[in-house]
Amino acid sequence: MNAIETIELTKRYGKRIAVDQLNLTVGTGEVFGFLGPNGAGKTTTIAMLLGLVKPTKGRALVLGYDVQREPALALRRVGAMIEAPAFYPYLSGADNLRVLARAGGIPLERVQRVLETVELSERARDKVSTYSQGMKQRLAIAAALLPDPELIMLDEPTNGLDPAGTVEIRNLIRELAASGRTILLCSHLLHEVEQLCQRVAIMKDGKLIASGDVATLLRRGQGVRVRVQGDPGPAVSLLRTLTWVGSVMVQGETIFVNAPADRAGEINALLIKADIIVAEIGASNSSLEEFFLTVTKAEV
Amino acid sequence: MEARTTFTNLLAAEWMKIVRRPMALLLLGIFLTLTALQQTLWFLIVALQEGTFSGGNVTFGLLSTAAIEQIKRQLSLPGVFGAMLSAINGTGGILAVILTAGIFGSDFNWGTLRILLTRAPNRGAYLSAKLVALQLALLSAMVITLIVGIVLALLFSGLLGLPQRLGIVDLLLLPIGMVRALLVMLPYTLIAAASAIVGRSVIAGVGGGLIFLAFDVSAGSLNTIGAVNPLIRALVNLLLQPNINRLIIENSRMFGLDQSVLTSALDLNLLPSQWQAIIVIIVYSAIFGYSAYRTLNRQDIGGAG
Repeated sequence: MNAIETIELTKRYGKRIAVDQLNLTVGTGEVFGFLGPNGAGKTTTIAMLLGLVKPTKGRALVLGYDVQREPALALRRVGAMIEAPAFYPYLSGADNLRVLARAGGIPLERVQRVLETVELSERARDKVSTYSQGMKQRLAIAAALLPDPELIMLDEPTNGLDPAGTVEIRNLIRELAASGRTILLCSHLLHEVEQLCQRVAIMKDGKLIASGDVATLLRRGQGVRVRVQGDPGPAVSLLRTLTWVGSVMVQGETIFVNAPADRAGEINALLIKADIIVAEIGASNSSLEEFFLTVTKAEV
Repeated sequence: MEARTTFTNLLAAEWMKIVRRPMALLLLGIFLTLTALQQTLWFLIVALQEGTFSGGNVTFGLLSTAAIEQIKRQLSLPGVFGAMLSAINGTGGILAVILTAGIFGSDFNWGTLRILLTRAPNRGAYLSAKLVALQLALLSAMVITLIVGIVLALLFSGLLGLPQRLGIVDLLLLPIGMVRALLVMLPYTLIAAASAIVGRSVIAGVGGGLIFLAFDVSAGSLNTIGAVNPLIRALVNLLLQPNINRLIIENSRMFGLDQSVLTSALDLNLLPSQWQAIIVIIVYSAIFGYSAYRTLNRQDIGGAG
């Protein structure tokens, strides 16, 4: 059984399509990266998976249950942190969790447990209004852990955290993954996703534009890195005319060419022939970040 | 069975949120202060009129004898019950609208609704639990107000030398009066809840609740014009205000008070019957409650709206 399965999942707001016929599967026990630029439709998709937003078309199955038809069963063992952390500012951290535990019929003993997990026990009695952004972030993760979830959806869990906090949360996600839970992770920190996730899906303008194994995608994303003297424009225009080049993008002074690395020499020769001075050329060891930028920014 | 458990769980969560909420305590504090000031004013009026402070040597003719007798009854048992319930339905009603808007709207403002609905996705149960918790909070506030009112009444009536008369019947009637007072506030709290849900904010709830209240009071006051055509009067009597006035007056009467003595514009014969009042209030409440439920149930919470 898949932990998450969407079938032609679509959400329209008037004429705008936020999510367009999304077919996505996340296997049980997987750590799955869900990526895309701002406004790609990731949060709307998660909101549909949590029953907060009603799909215009299609279905969303969570832990084998249809979220629209059987929301209580689907979400019973799901923990989620969606958008910015949201709490009652006049209550303490512990009381906020108690409210959620009571609402969800979760034993109150879990509150102390999850506070310890995110290392917030010492400030548990303080009002949330006195918490830093990082503490609120950790409290939100504690709230997601309350139901002892099989599936955890984390939307930007390291937002607002300092480097030490980011490492802590990354380790926590690793521990959760090691305990066999399924994790759907949305993050702009692609280095983090690359380290944590086995598979990723990339959305853009509501559509799924790439998905698969991180290693496979990175191989697909390998290419040639070129730096030319002066304006890169003519070089980009020339490279785009080549049929065996997938995409060309510029980042700073560097041109990333989506083409087999062994054709770097051929690219060099073509550029020289066109009177373009090549300052540097070589195989690009594609990171997830580069791959992400290549597929989401097909044009410069 | 599962739906009942969900409701009970949510009710416990909502109750915890309301009783810990500074806004609820602040509104209760404001209301108790206003009520205490009102009773003090009544005491001063009677004391000045009868020369209590000067041993009867200096008296002021502030009000008619009938009005002074009415105020004396409001300061003694069991009349204080009626006076307190009347205050609850007056100033208390406005504060209840503000509290309701705060309770419903802040879940949108703070974004806490999306977390709550993830834990308990049944939106009908969420709405019912919130409404029941609110009614329980209003009932608790009512009990506190009655206790404070009785204590002050005993103090003031002791100073004025007023007789007390409290029978078992009065105590048995008190819960009926409290239920009536809750019923009077119900439609206003429900329109505030519906407005907060439609507008997804506290300010929308306060605005919707108070604008409706102002409109209803203004339109309902047509009833006090004696020469209105019977058809128009029948239509005006379908508004909330005349029906609510009827129940407030019934509550006062039950404890020996006659509001028309102090409010000359109130002609009891022009008001609808008590049964009509109950039915009209229930119909309005059902309409507002259903609107709140329907809107919440169809709303998208979060996502890129």
